[in-house]
Amino acid sequence: MDVFIQLVVSGISVGMIYATIAFGYQLTFATSRTLNFGQGEALMLGAVVGLSLMPVLGYWAMLPVVLAFGLLQGVVVERLGVARAVAQKSEFGWVMSTIALGVIFKNVAENIWGRDDLKFPSPLPETPVVIAGAHILPMEFLILAGALAMMLAVELFNRRTIWGKAVVATANDSDAAGLMGINTPQIVTLSYAMSSMTAAFAGVLIAPVTLTGATMGTALGLKAFAVAIIGGLTSGLGVIVGGILLGISEKMTGYYLATGYADVPGLFLLLLVLAIRPDGLFGKRAIKKV
Amino acid sequence: MNNANPNKFANMATLAAFGLSRRGVIFAAAAGATIAFSPLAYGAGTIKVGLSGPFTGGSSSMGVSMRDGVKLAAAEINAAGGVLGKQIQLVERDDEAKNELGVQIAQELIDKEGVVATLGYINTGVALASQRFYQENKIPVINNVATGTVISKQFLPPEHAANFVFRISVPDVIQAEMIAAEAVDKRKFTKLAILADSTNYGQLGREDLEKSLAKRNLTPVAVEKFNIKDTEMTAQLLRAKEAGAQAILTYGIGPELAQIANGMAKLGWKVPMIGSWTLSMSSFIDNAGPNGEGARMPQAFIQEPTTPKRKAFIDGYTKAYNVDRMPSPVSAAQGYDSVYLLAAAIKQAGSTDGDKIRQALESLKEPVEGVVTTYNQPFSATDHESQALGMAVMGEVKGGRVSFAYEEDRKDAAKVRTKPKN
Repeated sequence: MDVFIQLVVSGISVGMIYATIAFGYQLTFATSRTLNFGQGEALMLGAVVGLSLMPVLGYWAMLPVVLAFGLLQGVVVERLGVARAVAQKSEFGWVMSTIALGVIFKNVAENIWGRDDLKFPSPLPETPVVIAGAHILPMEFLILAGALAMMLAVELFNRRTIWGKAVVATANDSDAAGLMGINTPQIVTLSYAMSSMTAAFAGVLIAPVTLTGATMGTALGLKAFAVAIIGGLTSGLGVIVGGILLGISEKMTGYYLATGYADVPGLFLLLLVLAIRPDGLFGKRAIKKV
Repeated sequence: MNNANPNKFANMATLAAFGLSRRGVIFAAAAGATIAFSPLAYGAGTIKVGLSGPFTGGSSSMGVSMRDGVKLAAAEINAAGGVLGKQIQLVERDDEAKNELGVQIAQELIDKEGVVATLGYINTGVALASQRFYQENKIPVINNVATGTVISKQFLPPEHAANFVFRISVPDVIQAEMIAAEAVDKRKFTKLAILADSTNYGQLGREDLEKSLAKRNLTPVAVEKFNIKDTEMTAQLLRAKEAGAQAILTYGIGPELAQIANGMAKLGWKVPMIGSWTLSMSSFIDNAGPNGEGARMPQAFIQEPTTPKRKAFIDGYTKAYNVDRMPSPVSAAQGYDSVYLLAAAIKQAGSTDGDKIRQALESLKEPVEGVVTTYNQPFSATDHESQALGMAVMGEVKGGRVSFAYEEDRKDAAKVRTKPKN
C-alpha cells in the first residue's frame, strides 16, 4: 500500500509541474488562438535567471524580479513572433516564429549558462516529510501550493480588474471586444506577457526539484503541451486534471508494467482524447463557422 | 633574420630543456635559423591533427576536459620542438555528441583539412558513425574517451586488411567486470538492481553488466530504464527497493544519475551506488551533493599528484585553465596521453603517412610515459586497446571530489599500472 501511495504522490507532484506549464499555453490561446511553442524555453529562462539572482537576492526576493523578467520576455515573443503573423491572418506563421524564438532563447542561454545541468539551491529543507507512508519533499508542497496560487491569482485578475475583464472579453469574442473599444492587439500582448510570467514562475518553482540548465525546458514543454491537449486548451481545471492524470499514469506504468514503457500511456491517452474529445476532457467545443 | 620562424625558439627551448650549455643554445639558435630557411620547415611547417568531441551539450564536461588535455600536450610538444621538426596544429570541431555531425566533421577533417590523424570521441554512437571514414582513407583514429566495447572492433583483421581505430579509454566490458567485482566479489552483495538510461551507451553497458553478473551466477533482481532528462526516478527506485536490492548498479550520464541519488534520499532509502565511470562527472557530483557521496566507479585516472609526471600534468592543467577541480580528470588525462602516443608514432614512422603511423602505433618501440599509464607496446595488429583489466582503479566520491575508494590503491598509486605484454 505504501508503494501505491508513494506512486500517486510522486505522480501528482510531477503532474503539477506539467500543469503549471500547460496553464501558460491556455492564457495565450484564450485571447489570440495562438500558442507559444517556446513555453518550455520561457520556463527555462525563468529558472536560469532566477539561479543567477539567487546569490544576490535569495530565493524569495528573487521571485518578483523573475516575474518581471517573464512579463518582458512574453512581450518580446508576442511583438517579434506573433503580432505580425496574427495581423496578416497567417494561419501558421506564429507556429514557426515561436518555435524559432524558442530555439534562439535556448542557444543564448547555452552561451551564457552553459549546457550542463546546474544545481538550484532549495529554499526549503531537502529532507522528505513522511505522510501515510509516502515520502514528500517540502519543495513538492511548495510546487503544489505555488501552482494553485498562481492559477487563482490569474483568475482573480481576470474577474476583478478592468484589464482582466478586457482579457475575458477578448477571449469570448475578439471582434466584438474590438468594436467595444478594447485594444485587442494590446490585450494579446498582455496575455503573452502573463503566459511567460507564469512559465518563468513555474521555472523557479520546479528548478530545485528538477535540475536547472538551458536544456531543461524542451522535454517539459512538450509534456505540458500534451497535458494542455488532454485537459483542453480552454479549461483551467482541465490542465490540473490532465497533468495529474499524465503524472500518475507515468508512475503507475513505470512501476507495475516496466519503466521502459513509462511514457507510453500518456501518449496513448493523448491519442484517445484527440479521437474522442478533440477539445480535451474539459474543453469547450469550438465551432468554427466557415 | 628578423622574421625567423618560431621553430628557432622552439629549438632553443628543446635544447635548454635538455640542459645544454649556453654555447649549445647559441648553436641551436644557428641551427634553428638554418632550418628556418629550409623549405622543409617553412613549407610544411605543421602537422594537422583532427580533434572531435562534444564541447557543448550534456557530455561537454568530458569533451572540454579532453580537448584541454589534448591542447596542453600539443603545446608542450610544440614548445619542445614539435614532431619531426614540425609543429602540431590541432583542428578542433564540436560534434555536439550528434552522430550526423560527427560524420560531417570526419569528412571535413579528412577531405578539406587533410589531417594526418584524429583524436577524440566522447560518445560511442558518434565514434561508431564517424570512424569508417578514417578507416576508408587509411587515417588513424585514437579514441580517448568513448567506452563502447565494440569501438575498436569494427574493422578487425582478417576481414579488414588493417584496423585504423585505436582506443585508450577503459572499454565498457572491463568497466562492467570491475563493477560486478566490486559489488559481488568484494562487497558480497547478492541482490543487485541495474538502472541504465535508454541511450546506446546505457543499453550496451547494461548488456555488459548483465554478462559480468551472469559469470558470477547472478541475475539482477531488477533491470530498470530511464530517459535522458527524466527528472523523477520514483518508479525505477521503488521497483529496485521492493525487489530487495542491496545496491544499485548504474549506466547513465551525470544529470540523471544525480536524480537517482536524489530520488533515493527522497524515498529515505539508501543503498550503495556503483556504476560506470560517468559517476565521476561533475554534473553528477554537483547535482547530487551529499546524496552522491560514496558512489563508486572505475577510474583510469584520479586527480591526485601520485607521480611527478601526474603532478606536472595536474598543475599544468589547473593553471592553464584556471580550475581547481578538473571537470572530468579521466577525459583530460586520456586526451593528454593520446597526443603523446600519436607523436611517438609519427616520430617512429618518420612520416605523416596514415598507414605508416598505424604500423608505428602497432609496434611502438619506445615506451611512452603518459599520466594514465606508461604505454609499453600498448597496441598490436590485432589488439587496439591500451587498457586491460587491473589497470583502472575504483574511485569514490568523497567530499565532492573523486578519490581512491581503497586506501591500498592510493598507497600503490605511485607504482604505475601497466598493461601486461601481448
